Amino acid sequence: MFQRILIANRGEIALRVIRTAREMGIECVAVYSDLDAQALHTRMAHRAVALGGATPAETYLNVDKILAAAKETGAEAIHPGYGFLSENAGFARAVTEAGLAWIGPPPEAIEVMGDKIESRRAMQAAGVPCVPGLTDPVDDPASATEAADAIGYPVAIKAAAGGGGKGIRIVREREGMESAFRAASGEAESSFGDGRLYLERYLDRPRHIEIQVLFDAEGQGVSLYERECSIQRRHQKLIEESPSVVINAEQRAAMGEIALRAGAYVNYRGAGTVEFLWSGGEFYFLEMNTRLQVEHPVTEMVTGVDLVAEQLRIAAGEPLGFDPAELRLTGHAIEVRINAEDPYSGFLPSTGTLHNLRAPGGPWVRLDGSMYRGLEVGLSYDPMLGKLIVWGADRDQAIRRMRRAIAEMNVGGVRTSLPAVLQVLETSEFGAGEYDTHFLESLQLAPPPEFEPLVAAASAIFRHTQSRRRALAPQHGSRNAWRDRGRRSVSSFARRASEKGDQA
Amino acid sequence: MGERVHEVDLVRRLGELLVTVNGEPMDLNYSEVDRHGQVTLQLDGRSFGASIEGTDSEVSVTLAGHSYQMQIEDEREHAAHVAERAASKGGGTIKAVMPGVVVETLVELGDEVVEGQPLLILEAMKMQNEILAPGPGIVAQYHVEPGQAVAAGEKLVKLKGLE
Repeated sequence: MFQRILIANRGEIALRVIRTAREMGIECVAVYSDLDAQALHTRMAHRAVALGGATPAETYLNVDKILAAAKETGAEAIHPGYGFLSENAGFARAVTEAGLAWIGPPPEAIEVMGDKIESRRAMQAAGVPCVPGLTDPVDDPASATEAADAIGYPVAIKAAAGGGGKGIRIVREREGMESAFRAASGEAESSFGDGRLYLERYLDRPRHIEIQVLFDAEGQGVSLYERECSIQRRHQKLIEESPSVVINAEQRAAMGEIALRAGAYVNYRGAGTVEFLWSGGEFYFLEMNTRLQVEHPVTEMVTGVDLVAEQLRIAAGEPLGFDPAELRLTGHAIEVRINAEDPYSGFLPSTGTLHNLRAPGGPWVRLDGSMYRGLEVGLSYDPMLGKLIVWGADRDQAIRRMRRAIAEMNVGGVRTSLPAVLQVLETSEFGAGEYDTHFLESLQLAPPPEFEPLVAAASAIFRHTQSRRRALAPQHGSRNAWRDRGRRSVSSFARRASEKGDQA
Repeated sequence: MGERVHEVDLVRRLGELLVTVNGEPMDLNYSEVDRHGQVTLQLDGRSFGASIEGTDSEVSVTLAGHSYQMQIEDEREHAAHVAERAASKGGGTIKAVMPGVVVETLVELGDEVVEGQPLLILEAMKMQNEILAPGPGIVAQYHVEPGQAVAAGEKLVKLKGLE
């Protein structure tokens, strides 16, 4: 096993990797931008290297600086986390060429799966079911309209180099095609530097179900079952759970087998996720994420497998830490994301300083976050501050536990997605498992009105208390007057003394 | 709160605060836990762990996981705001609710727009957001141009109310 690794990331995922590595007796090297000098990942690592600069391009995306930091600290391997350079095949190659171990899949697998068009071609060749659509990208609205007519509406337009929900548009009829194409292409160009788009049929009442896989150092694959991530907004996931209520044991096995086929076709190694769209009992390949995912703790909670530990073992060429034949899915786990966003204003980013933080606790509650009192939440990085994860013996218990944990939690200073999550968890539809990827957007998000009079009274008392405190506090003006008077008397004393001296 | 108005009366008598909300007396106990915003609320024997922060005019309350944004005005401020609202008669200036970059303006000066019509595209956090007209009006002035970075609260476009 490695003695020392470098984590080329920030925020909660850097801390997540540090936690497991510490437990395994591995030393951690953190890297940080100027903005993250006081961040938790910087403080919790064994060593921390300043990359210098504030923008991602100068820091967490800067291959040369990260490799130099690894060399300087004697790190043997690099964990990329998610986002930033995690799905950058060039970085993976640069790491291995520098003589370091890459804690991730082979660069070739990243390349194939990272390009939506190429991955589709590969998956069709591997016999993995795909959504009806184009295998070639289009780059102008006219050919997009022509292609959409052939596929049939509604059609989804996606960025060829996309991810994270950016550059995606849904077009319901021919008329909307041109404007949607231009918007998606512009967004793809500015986010990924690649404005190519591809089209596919948009499925009705779809559910997002994904399979977590691990391929060991020998290429032997194991499925760690599904996660359902259908509570999302503009393709940004908000709530994830395992198992999915719509999957039975037979379909779980079938999806697991297809996911392993997908990974095997690209000679996958390490941890990865094969995402499917599920609609009316059928499922189609969406994409494979060639990295650890944000929602990986859900799988950890129902399997008891530490996915980061397995990533480290595989990268070090060691066997898995568990016997795949003994793997079981036990109970139910739910994860919710704590994003600095205002759910009551269309989930716009919210900024501020976290000065008032209260964390939840109790049995089977896990908080993976990078929040601390004094953290300044700006717009430089992803708005995700952390994740709250619970485990329950069954789904009902897990939902109750999550509601209890959210009620205990307070993130003051910014607005967060938590009240929206709570509202979803309180609906009868979510309770019954009857939801799809459009459910969140269909909800009227608002806090329950029955507490409004209480909240109004508390707010008025708050203001009253604040103004009373100000009235009682010593005034700046009077303090200055006091000091000025002191100075004057000293200087007049000095003047009188010198006058006396002159006389003498 | 939003469109709804709650009227709160506070009277200090013998060191105790008597609370009336919308004409109804409320048996409320309010005590601060710390100076960061944690408070204890007890209402008719029910206990709530709550958190309050903000300014004199805007307060944010977290109660049992739910979040409330309240605008507060005292009697004098209320009277002033009512007069202000009556004077503006629709239209008004649309401000950026978040920092970002103006990608494209979608309507021309002098155009008549309807409620909900996209006026411009503001890119923030790599997402393109359409800024919509809050009501019908005529585009009277652009404060920004494409490519310009704006801070939260900065003026974007001015709409003139329809006659």
